[in-house]
This record gives sequence, C-alpha cells and structure tokens, in this order.
Amino acid sequence: MTDDAPLRAAVGPDEGRPRQRFLLEDGDFDEVPPKYRRFYRHWKGAGDELGPNEVLCPVCKVVIRSTRELRAGDRLYCMACMTRLRVRAGELGRLEADCEY
Amino acid sequence: MAKTPAREPTVEVHDLEPREFLEQVHSFEFWFQSVEGYLAGTRYGHRPETREEPLAAPERERLVTVLCNYCLGETAALEGASGLVAIAPNRLSKVFLSTQVVDEGRHLEVLLHRLADLGVADPEAEIERRSSASLREFKRRLLGLVASKDWEAALFAQNVILEAMEFTVFQTHQRSADPVTAEVLGGIVKDERRHIGFGENELGRRLRESPHRRARIGEVKRDLDSLVLETFEETVREIGIPAVERPELGRSYLAAVARLGFP
Repeated sequence: MTDDAPLRAAVGPDEGRPRQRFLLEDGDFDEVPPKYRRFYRHWKGAGDELGPNEVLCPVCKVVIRSTRELRAGDRLYCMACMTRLRVRAGELGRLEADCEY
Repeated sequence: MAKTPAREPTVEVHDLEPREFLEQVHSFEFWFQSVEGYLAGTRYGHRPETREEPLAAPERERLVTVLCNYCLGETAALEGASGLVAIAPNRLSKVFLSTQVVDEGRHLEVLLHRLADLGVADPEAEIERRSSASLREFKRRLLGLVASKDWEAALFAQNVILEAMEFTVFQTHQRSADPVTAEVLGGIVKDERRHIGFGENELGRRLRESPHRRARIGEVKRDLDSLVLETFEETVREIGIPAVERPELGRSYLAAVARLGFP
C-alpha cells in the first residue's frame, strides 16, 4: 500500500475490527460545491464533540467528516482550505490530523 | 450532525487521488460552485433583508477606522495576489491565484460599500487619513517581495501572514459586529479559508522539495513579525477586544508558521 492510500491498515487496538459506516447528511456547510458539502460542517467551539468519523482541520478549523469510522493513518481532504491531512491518535485518545504537504 | 451507522457505503471525497484533488480545488469550476453556496442572493456581501442597526457616534467612528484598515489590507492582498499570478511556478497555481484576485477585488468592493453605507463620502481619502502606518509599511514590503519575483517569500507574506491575520481578525470582529458588517465579514472569512490553505500547502510543498529555501522564509518572517504584531494590536484595540483575549488572536498565524517548521 502506498503513502497515499486513503485507508491504511489500522494499527493498534482497532486492528481487525470492522469500521463503522456513517450516513452523512447536508448540514449548514456551504463553502464547497454541493456534492461535497456533507463531508464538512462548521465547528461549534470547545464543547463540540467530534464523532468517530470526524476530525478538526488544523488549518481552517472546519470539521471534516467521513462515511467511515476514522483511524490513525487515514488520509483526509479539507476542501474548504484545500489541505491533505493524515489522521493520528492525539493526546487523550482523540483523533487529530496533520497536514501533508 | 449525522452519526448513525449505516450499512451501505457512499462515494467518499477522501478517496480522490492527491493530484485529482489539487486539480479540482484549484479550478475556477470549484470556485464557482463554492462561492455560489454563500454569496448567491447577497448584495454587497450581505442579505438585502438584513437590517441596519443604529450605531452611536463613537462606535461608528471606530468602525469606520477599522474598515479603512480592512480596505488597506484587502488592497494589499488584491495587488499582491495579482502580482503573484505572474510569478507562480505552475499553471494550477496561476489559475487558483486568479480566483483569489477575484475574491480580493470583491472584498475591497464590499468594504468600500460598507463605508459608504456608514456615510463616508470619500472612502479613498478616509483610508489615506485613518489607516495604520504599520499596515502601510507591511503592504510596501509585500509588494516589494512580489516585484522582486521572490515567489516563496512573497507567498509567505501574502497568503500565510496577511491572510492569517485577516482570517483571525475578521472572525473575531464578526462575533461582536453589527448585523450587516458581521455578514460582510462572514462571507470574506469563507474566502479566506481557501487563501490561507493555498499559501500554507504550496509553501509546505516547496519547502519539502527545496529545504534550502527555509532560510529565506525565516528571514522574511523575522523582518515582518513586528509589523504583523503591531497591526494586530492596533486593529484589535479599535474593535474593542479585551486585552486579556488579545494574545489568542496571534495564535492562528503562529500555528501556521509552526506547522511549516518555523518557531
């Protein structure tokens, strides 16, 4: 599998467990073309809890969403700020994302 | 927020190949469909039905000064982005920057219009009279970098420093502004997401491919840092942000430069 593989084999405790799937619905996000809008939502601040299929874009602070449960090593795109990201396990076990230039 | 587990997978944006992703997001096609989402139905950056809230005289004065500085910043961004089109190293970047030029022109127009709404008869003269000396100096240095065809340095000054500053200040101001100004700023912030992202990603790619360019960017950062912080300070004072919250405002800029590897 290459570095650009969208979903790398999971490592750690999730290995072997199938990923949850999610139905995404359009919300209030209007900053990308209509066909991509459901993959993003506005972040509501510190109390906004992210789902297992969501991660916060470190560049523009938009919530990026996937139809799949996310795991460390996954590749994501923030279309709002045109950034390619790689998911990693952050402190306290929350998923975070780093820019891949 | 939909978090319901589903059985059937759907098409996933994150499965795009990196090249395909970049070609899409840098295109006019992408830009048209994006701005249509939040600008359709607006007039000079706000919904026609949004009601004007009466402002007390001192409040109006402060707002006019802040908007004059925004106009100066957007003029710098418009002239800077226009110049960057000519020196961008590839066609994809040139196309993206041409969408940015359109955005910056629109920002300037809606802000000038807002000044006119507030009763400013001669916005050009008012901008000249009220704008910050540090921002004028920043503009002079930015355009100097563009004129010297120093792509990485000019992109850093324009799309990392200036855009991060505008993104943060406009977002902050939007929260406390009158309804019309808040809508105008909200639309601008949505454009700014693309601009800051383009700057950081393009620069990140260039530095990855040619690490020797890092020293030059560090030099530009050192040269412009004090001007950036001064401009931040002056603007947030005019907006009326409490002193205790001000250090937070530089965080977006500092986080962006830290991700690029600059302390």
